[in-house]
Amino acid sequence: MAEARAALRGDRTLAYATLAPSVFLLLLLAGVPTITVFSTAMQDIGMGDMSGPYVGFENFAWALTSEAFYTALRNTFVWVFGSVALEMALGLGLALLLNKTFMFRGVARAIILAPYLVPTVVAVLVWRYMFHDIVGIINAGLLSIGIIDKPLLWLNSQSLAMLSVILVGVWKFFPFVVIALLGILQSIPQEQYEAAKIDGASSFQQFWRITLPYVMPVFLLTALLRTIWSFHKFEIIYLMTGGGPLDATTTLPILVYLKAFTDFEFGRGAAVAILTFAILVIFLGLYFALIKRAEDRQ
Amino acid sequence: MARLEIRQVSKVFTDHTAVSDVSLAVNDGEFLVLLGPSGCGKSTLLRMIAGLELPTYGEILIGDRVATRLQPKDRNIAMVFQNYALYPHLTVYENIAFPLRVRGADSKLVEDKVKWAAGLVGLGHLLKRKPRQMSGGERQRTALARSLVRDPDVFLLDEPLSNLDAKLRHSAREELRQFQDRVGVTSVYVTHDQVEAMGLGDRIVVMQAGTVRQIGTPEEIYQYPADTFVATFMGSPPMNLVSQGDITLGFRPENFLPESNYAQGSDITRIAFRVHRVEYLGGDRLLYGHVCGNLPETPAIARIPSSVAYSPTLGSETAFAVATGDLRRFDATSGKALAVAGMKLERRLAHG
Repeated sequence: MAEARAALRGDRTLAYATLAPSVFLLLLLAGVPTITVFSTAMQDIGMGDMSGPYVGFENFAWALTSEAFYTALRNTFVWVFGSVALEMALGLGLALLLNKTFMFRGVARAIILAPYLVPTVVAVLVWRYMFHDIVGIINAGLLSIGIIDKPLLWLNSQSLAMLSVILVGVWKFFPFVVIALLGILQSIPQEQYEAAKIDGASSFQQFWRITLPYVMPVFLLTALLRTIWSFHKFEIIYLMTGGGPLDATTTLPILVYLKAFTDFEFGRGAAVAILTFAILVIFLGLYFALIKRAEDRQ
Repeated sequence: MARLEIRQVSKVFTDHTAVSDVSLAVNDGEFLVLLGPSGCGKSTLLRMIAGLELPTYGEILIGDRVATRLQPKDRNIAMVFQNYALYPHLTVYENIAFPLRVRGADSKLVEDKVKWAAGLVGLGHLLKRKPRQMSGGERQRTALARSLVRDPDVFLLDEPLSNLDAKLRHSAREELRQFQDRVGVTSVYVTHDQVEAMGLGDRIVVMQAGTVRQIGTPEEIYQYPADTFVATFMGSPPMNLVSQGDITLGFRPENFLPESNYAQGSDITRIAFRVHRVEYLGGDRLLYGHVCGNLPETPAIARIPSSVAYSPTLGSETAFAVATGDLRRFDATSGKALAVAGMKLERRLAHG
C-alpha cells in the first residue's frame, strides 16, 4: 500500500516535471498578455503617460456608451455572419459537387484549394487591383456586359466596402469548408445510398435524410470554427480598407487596433478587446450547445 | 411474392467479365442461395437483381414483369446488406419506417407496419434505440425488419450473417430460416460459406468465375457434384480426386473407409491408402495420406467416425475401399461429371 502510494507520488512528480515547461510557456505567452490586457483596460494609458492612473471600469463605460463601439459591433456581425453563411453555402455546394465522380476531379480538388494557400497579403493586393474603380477588372467586366453603366466604388463607398471585404474573405476561406465537408462526405458508406435507393428514396430524399444528417455535426463544427476565426479576423479587412471608408468596415478587432495604435488610447483599446472576447465566449457557448444536440441525435 | 427469372445475363466491366451468361429461375417462395468463392460474380448478380447494377446482356424478370432496366425502387424488392446499411442517426423505429416514410405513407399505417415487422424479428422492445447502441445480431434483425416492412416481392440478402461471430451466426441462421418459412417470400441469398448455403437453401447455385457450375438441392450438390470444381468446393475436407486414365475418380472422405469395415460381399471398389498422419477431431478422425497401389500416388483424406475402432499403421499400404455407389467419375479433360447409375438430377444440371 505504502509502496503503491510512493510509486504514485513518483509518477506524479514526473508528470509535473514534464508538464512544467509547457505550463511555463503558456503562462508567459498567454497568461501574462491576458493579465496585461485586463490591467491596461483598468488604466487610462496614453502616449504621454504609459504608467497611467487606475480608472476602474471607466474605459468599459466609455465603450458601452460610444457610438464607435456599437458601429463596430454591428459591422462585426455583418462581417461574421455574411462571410460564414456564404462560405458554408458555397463550401457545401462545392463539396457535394467534388464528391461526385467526374473527369479531372483530382485537378479540380487541387484548384479549389488554391485561395486557401495564397498568402493573405498577396491575395489582398491582387483583389484591391481587381476592385479598383478605374483600372479594376471587376468594373471593366461589369461595364462591358452592361450590368452597370458607370464604375462602382467597391472599396471606397460605404455601401459596398463591407460586401467587397466579405467577398474576398469568402473567396479566401471557403476551401477550408470544402475540405472539411468533403472528408465527411467521403466517409458516408455507399450502401446507405443503395439501401435508400431500394427503399424508394428520391435523390432529394437521399440528400435530406442521409447526406445532411451525416454531415451535420462536421458542418456545425466547421461553422463554429469559421465564426471564431472570422470574429477576430484582422488582416484581410485592415489591408483591404483599413476599416474605412469612414467606419464602414471597422469591426471590433479593427477598432481595438485603431484605438490603441492610431489614437494611442491603450486603455480603451484593451476594454474593447475584452468586450470582444466576452461576446465571443457567449457565441461559443451557444454553438457548443447546438453541436452537442446534433451529436446526440447522431 | 413472386417468381424471379434470370435469362442469359452477363455483366461486363471495362477490365473483366463479372457474370457470364447466367440463367436461372427462383420459384415463388423459394429460398435460393448463390454460393461461390469471392469474385465469382454472385454479389454482382444479386446487385443486378436489385437494380444497383445494370446487366450488359440478358433479361431479369420479377413476377411477370421485365425488370431489367427498372430503377431499384420500382422493382418492389428488398435487400439486406452485409453491413446492414442502417441509418446511424435514426432510431430503430425510424430505420424500419424509412421505406414507408419516403413513399409518404400516413403515420398510422407506418406505426402498424413497423410494429408488425419489429414483432416478427423480435425487436419490439428496442424501437427507441440507435443502431450504435445495439449488438450485431440486433442490427441484423433491424435490417431484416426494414426490408420486410413494405411486403417485397423478392428478398435479397448479401452475406447478412458474415459480420456476426461464429456462435451468433449459427442461431441467426436458424432464425433466418424459420423466419423465411413463416413469411414465405421468394429469397435470394449470397454467401461464400457452404455450411450456410447447405443449411439455408432450398436450392443452391454454385458459381465460379462468373458462371454457374451447378444448380440443385443441397443434397444433390453434395452427393452428385456436376464437376470437379463443385466436388472440391463443397465439403470440408473436400472430395478426394484421383485420376485414372482419361477419367477422374472422386470419393468423399467419409465414404473412404478400411475395407474391413464393409460387410462381406458388398459392392465395393478397393483403393490402397497409405496413412501419414491422423488428426483427432472429437467425433471424427481425419486420416491424411496417399492413394497408392495401382492408382497414381495422390494425396487423399479419409474421415473415420471415432466410434469405428480402427488404428491405422502409419506409413504402410492399407486396404481401403469405397462403396461403388458412392464413387463419382469425372471427365479428366473437361472435369464434368459422368452419369452415375441411379442419379436423378439431369433436369437440374445447368450448364451453358
